[in-house]
Amino acid sequence: MRIFQSMRSFKNAVWGASLLSILVAGIGLLVIVFGEKYHLRLVYAAYVNLLVVLGLQVFMGNTNITNLSHSAFMGLGAYVAAICVTPVTIKKLSLPDAPWGLNAFELDAFSSAIISLTITGFLAFLTGLIIVRLSGIGATIVTIAILVIVHSVFMHRTDIFKGKQAFFGIPQVFDLYSIIIISIGVIFVARFFRESKWGIQLRASSDDDTSASAMGVNIFNLRLFAWTLGGLILAMAGICYAYFLGTISARPFYFSHVFLTLAMLILGGMRSITGAVLGTIMITFGLEWVRFMETGPVLIGIKFPEMLGLSGITLGAVIVLIMVLRNGGLVGNFEIEQMFRKGRNIPKV
Amino acid sequence: MDYIVQQTLNALSFGAEYALIALGLAIVFSIMNLVNFAHGEVIAIGGYTMMVMATLAFKNPIIIILGAVLAAIIMALFLERIAFRPVRYADATTGLLTAFGVSLILQNLFLLLVSPRPIAVTSMYFLDWPIRLGSIQISSLQIFETLATLIAILLLVLFLKKSLLGIAMRAASLDFEMVRLMGIRANRVIAAAFAISGLLAGIAAIFIIARRGAVDPTLGFNPVLKAFVACVVGGFGSLPGAVLGGFLLGALEVGMLVLLPQSYGGMKDAFVFAIIAIILVWRPEGILSPPKEKGDKI
Repeated sequence: MRIFQSMRSFKNAVWGASLLSILVAGIGLLVIVFGEKYHLRLVYAAYVNLLVVLGLQVFMGNTNITNLSHSAFMGLGAYVAAICVTPVTIKKLSLPDAPWGLNAFELDAFSSAIISLTITGFLAFLTGLIIVRLSGIGATIVTIAILVIVHSVFMHRTDIFKGKQAFFGIPQVFDLYSIIIISIGVIFVARFFRESKWGIQLRASSDDDTSASAMGVNIFNLRLFAWTLGGLILAMAGICYAYFLGTISARPFYFSHVFLTLAMLILGGMRSITGAVLGTIMITFGLEWVRFMETGPVLIGIKFPEMLGLSGITLGAVIVLIMVLRNGGLVGNFEIEQMFRKGRNIPKV
Repeated sequence: MDYIVQQTLNALSFGAEYALIALGLAIVFSIMNLVNFAHGEVIAIGGYTMMVMATLAFKNPIIIILGAVLAAIIMALFLERIAFRPVRYADATTGLLTAFGVSLILQNLFLLLVSPRPIAVTSMYFLDWPIRLGSIQISSLQIFETLATLIAILLLVLFLKKSLLGIAMRAASLDFEMVRLMGIRANRVIAAAFAISGLLAGIAAIFIIARRGAVDPTLGFNPVLKAFVACVVGGFGSLPGAVLGGFLLGALEVGMLVLLPQSYGGMKDAFVFAIIAIILVWRPEGILSPPKEKGDKI
């Protein structure tokens, strides 16, 4: 069984993913060489967001169903890995009454990550069985339901997840180099999925589901696959988050993070991996500047007022403007390797 | 027995609030396929208007109520004009995301211009006093809320069945092109839908403020999230479905509060949403969804 429709789509996928990897790795290496210590943390968080956006793109970009539960899956990935990897001595302190002996074992980082991926992937598969039966708005409401359910469990099972408090003592496993390598891997996975025949069939079914299924596309199975693959990438993002920061809490895995990553995906263009990467880079740098303005700095001799909420307004404005002016995002269906091709290969938009 | 009656009354008043908000969402969706997530911020505008009017020393509660409702209607019309008109013919996903963006902007504007913290608004407290019926203790607010919702539904039905604009709106939810060919302005029909949704949001704002006594930037977000769920469960775009979904959600919430042990009280939302997801698996298009057409029938 062939994965790709033609040799050309395989070559395009390799080219495009390689170019994006060079871009993504280049930015990271520049920061490692020239950046200060606090830059590393910011850039690491940006890479985690890049993984989230890519995980979101795999489902949302190919099926055109708005997913709002991605932060929940990221949170699941982070917590499962954190609970497995944290040393028993710390867990005895932080989770004194955890059920099922959760505070009585510890694993190495690699097995913890595998367990986290397995559990989150399985949960994604189970919820996917529900999601694929629905279409459009109904599917979106169930993703909101997933987000709310997971968040309430995080908040109220304080014996396992610590709720609003920080879950601390996670050993630092990853550094910036590791997440650059993981990002490159995920870029390849997402791009290969997009160019594979399954990706093409999924996008066809999102344009016209009746014709696609008449052509023999099994929409349910494909959506389920894309949803689970997206869930696994999101779990990976969560693992990376927990393995660097050392402490996690439930609050970041809720609506504000959902909107942040959604804006990143929409800005670049959710149908293309290039768009996802571009949107993440633009919003990350843009927001850093906006946050600076938020604190009320003094610029060219003018004292600006403190403006709390400016970053939220910016994100909202980005979403609205893109939807009103260019609802395919900045790049639409464009992928980066098309910049370097001349003549017949450039598709008409 | 008393306990059951008491909880039924609670469920009714919860449900009435959700139904009121859900109707506002459904009436816009039925006509232009827009999931208006910014509805919550229209409610918040109502709340902030009350706050401003109270600080400007308006003592008469009737004037404050009228002002809040009027502000909500104007806000709804304004949002339609600047944000939703450009995406009127786009697909539902574009509309949904636009509405999310608008909601995000408005929430943060409240935060920036007013305050991130809740501000007390006490002018609606007069609606709330305890009533004893035999051994049942209820609040007058619950009665007002249920009554107001029932009256609003009644008037809405009358408007949709009897007035020309109402008939045009019902027709528009089936075939907008045909309505336009009959010489009715599209802008007018859509503006009417938004005005009604703003009116309903204004009424909802009064009761939310009366119960909470304070206004903050996320005042409307959670109620609208719930109402959105109610709409989907009832059958999105169906007005009876929105009402049914609202009351069903109210009943579910009260049921969960009664049945769940105290230690699980905080998990109420998780259980409610899980039940909703199961209902959607059973009926993916909602309970009272309008029949869906696929392809040409000719």
